Amino acid sequence: MFRTACQEQLLPGATLQEKWEFAQAAGYDGIELRGKGDHHFRERLPELRGAKADGVPMPTVCVDMPHFFAAFDADRRRDALAQMTSQLSVIAELGGAGAQTPASYGMFSRRLPPFTPPRGEEEEREVLLSGLTELGEHARAEGVTLFLEPLNRYEDHMVNRLEQAVELIRAVGLDSVRIGIDSYHMNIEEADPPAAIVAAAPYIGHAQVSDSNRFQPGAGHLDWPAWLGALESAGYQGHLALECRLTPHLDPAEAVRSVPPFLARMSGAAPCGAGR
Amino acid sequence: MTSSAVAVGPGTAPAPPPAPARPFGQADRALRRRACRVLLGSWTGHSTVPSHGLYPHQWSWDSAFIAIGLRHLSPLRAQRELETLLGAQWGDGRVPHIVFNRAVPLGAYFPSPDFWRSSTAGAAAGAPAALETSGIVQPPVHALAAWLVHRADPASSARRGFLARVYPRLVAWHRYLADRRDLGGGGLAAVVHPWEPGMDNSPCWDGPLARIEPAAADSFRRADLVHGAAADRPTDLDYGRYVRLAAEYRDHGYRDAAAPHPFAVEDPGFNALLVASEYALARIARTLGGVPDVHRERAAALTDALVERLWSPEAGQFLSRDLRADGAGRTAGQLVTARSAAGLLPLLTPDLPPAVVEALLGTVRGPHFGLGTTVRLLPSYDLRGAAFDPHRYWRGPAWFNVNWLLERGLRLHGAGQRADALAEEILRAAADSRFAEYLDPHTGAGRGARDFGWTAALALDLLARRARQAPAPVPVPAPRKDS
Repeated sequence: MFRTACQEQLLPGATLQEKWEFAQAAGYDGIELRGKGDHHFRERLPELRGAKADGVPMPTVCVDMPHFFAAFDADRRRDALAQMTSQLSVIAELGGAGAQTPASYGMFSRRLPPFTPPRGEEEEREVLLSGLTELGEHARAEGVTLFLEPLNRYEDHMVNRLEQAVELIRAVGLDSVRIGIDSYHMNIEEADPPAAIVAAAPYIGHAQVSDSNRFQPGAGHLDWPAWLGALESAGYQGHLALECRLTPHLDPAEAVRSVPPFLARMSGAAPCGAGR
Repeated sequence: MTSSAVAVGPGTAPAPPPAPARPFGQADRALRRRACRVLLGSWTGHSTVPSHGLYPHQWSWDSAFIAIGLRHLSPLRAQRELETLLGAQWGDGRVPHIVFNRAVPLGAYFPSPDFWRSSTAGAAAGAPAALETSGIVQPPVHALAAWLVHRADPASSARRGFLARVYPRLVAWHRYLADRRDLGGGGLAAVVHPWEPGMDNSPCWDGPLARIEPAAADSFRRADLVHGAAADRPTDLDYGRYVRLAAEYRDHGYRDAAAPHPFAVEDPGFNALLVASEYALARIARTLGGVPDVHRERAAALTDALVERLWSPEAGQFLSRDLRADGAGRTAGQLVTARSAAGLLPLLTPDLPPAVVEALLGTVRGPHFGLGTTVRLLPSYDLRGAAFDPHRYWRGPAWFNVNWLLERGLRLHGAGQRADALAEEILRAAADSRFAEYLDPHTGAGRGARDFGWTAALALDLLARRARQAPAPVPVPAPRKDS
């Protein structure tokens, strides 16, 4: 059975301690933090240290910024690298496992006009490899991991599938860079999501969950037993972190509460007694 | 694999001690992960290949056994597995033994689609026009599989209309066997090719096959020897006869009324699975709000016919009946004296006469099959038979689906401890042999393909039952670096 985490913005409560009280009662094992830019995450350190002292488990942080380490613009790229470096240090201080980021988000899509990115493939690869190397080396020094998240084709044009992330990670050659998979993006990009998990097994470091429609698991049509069964057979030991939107017209707290029992049910043998 | 897994050679009593019952442990979890990886790796998007190299298409009874295990990994995929197979059903109700994947090159398997030519040669029998299949069938284990798949997740089954969708197709399949395949007129389904009962080169077919003129050796090219060792596979001579029989059936448009069927045999395993599947259809009918009686009555009639036509009190097991005469004075309708594991599979049927059950339970562990006395898994053929060969496919090796069926039969007839012991041996052999296709019954050495689909699937099924029955583990806190 997997451990679960819930992103902080989905949890009711004014403080992390209050959020954890809710999360724990709902069956979660941790809180995934969100790392805003302008060193906002680092500035939260007093708050985060307090939460840690009060026993709030915070295994991971997911980046929450307008630009990313593979941005077209060199200044933004530099800033994103600085922010991620800082976020890795903060999550290390909190005793967490690592920080998750995509190459970019909302910057360009090959499926939308003007279809051709302003940067050539060679340059893109250089940007990706140098960014991952810089962040990976910092992560290694801090004893944590950078999780590279493939996004769907409409949200990022560089890293969409697990095999692309695997190829980059192999080229970087650092154990401190792994893939942060996301069930929603995989549902769009992978021909066979469970097979993609098995194929990328040694490179998977983190997993975020949401359903086919980006709502909480159970609200869409993903084949959860197969997806979770693949992750289990891949020997994955990390958390399943809830990063999603919540079904409208449903009490948000109830939607968040519904996830741990749903995932537990879906990651058992068969959901119901498979009688003879 | 080492020889320790099944060991104990012929005549070297005493019996191995029964495997002790144990809780669901690390080794079981590791085996479950490995089995899941096999099934995930063999999934093609709509069905599962038994083995990527040797069997790169969809096989009928493989799909059924695979679905029985796949239901524990993904009830949805298990439902799809059966739906896609039944989607290739012919108009006359037959479920073809192979559904070809058009993306696989023709040379990857023989007989290939251009040999069977189902969409043209089978048109009069209702073969699908848009896809290619073989023209023969395999044992009817599908309704049983459908019921078990439904039970794994009744909610998703109901939501998707799984049973409602497959039930009419399963009924049509059984009707085909009743209407077109009762070649002996005694109420049982006959097989018309040695591949149909699933045990392709069983010594039971040596007699009925001997009268078939083999196709010329240069008229076809086997693909199975590219992936499998020749000594573990059927001989070239047998292959020539298989090809001849299939070609003749094809050349008669696969129409059972028109085809001469020089090979026509009533097989106890095939018919026992039909009985078990009729009972499953009764349960399916009841779940759908229909009337199960017709299926129960049919199952009872099939059971009676099975006992009347194929039971041999002298042998203490069921035997095949050869419906054709040979040219050497042997009349039609004789029982075949060769003892196959198929003759023990009627243990799957619930309403056998008690004396028959008792005799079967004795034969299972007696000198001919030696289960729990000289071998740990049931061999496919008589250990003492002249044709016994521990390596050659269905002429002696132990197969996992047969042992899984026997485990079920033992349990059905109150031999729970023996069933538990057999389940343990199946799991141990599956683990040690890397999910081999079949095993030397004496040494346990794996033969044929590895990471074989139904071996992994049926191990998963036995593991799931074991997990349900195991005492609740003492909770151990997971290591957490974050707290």
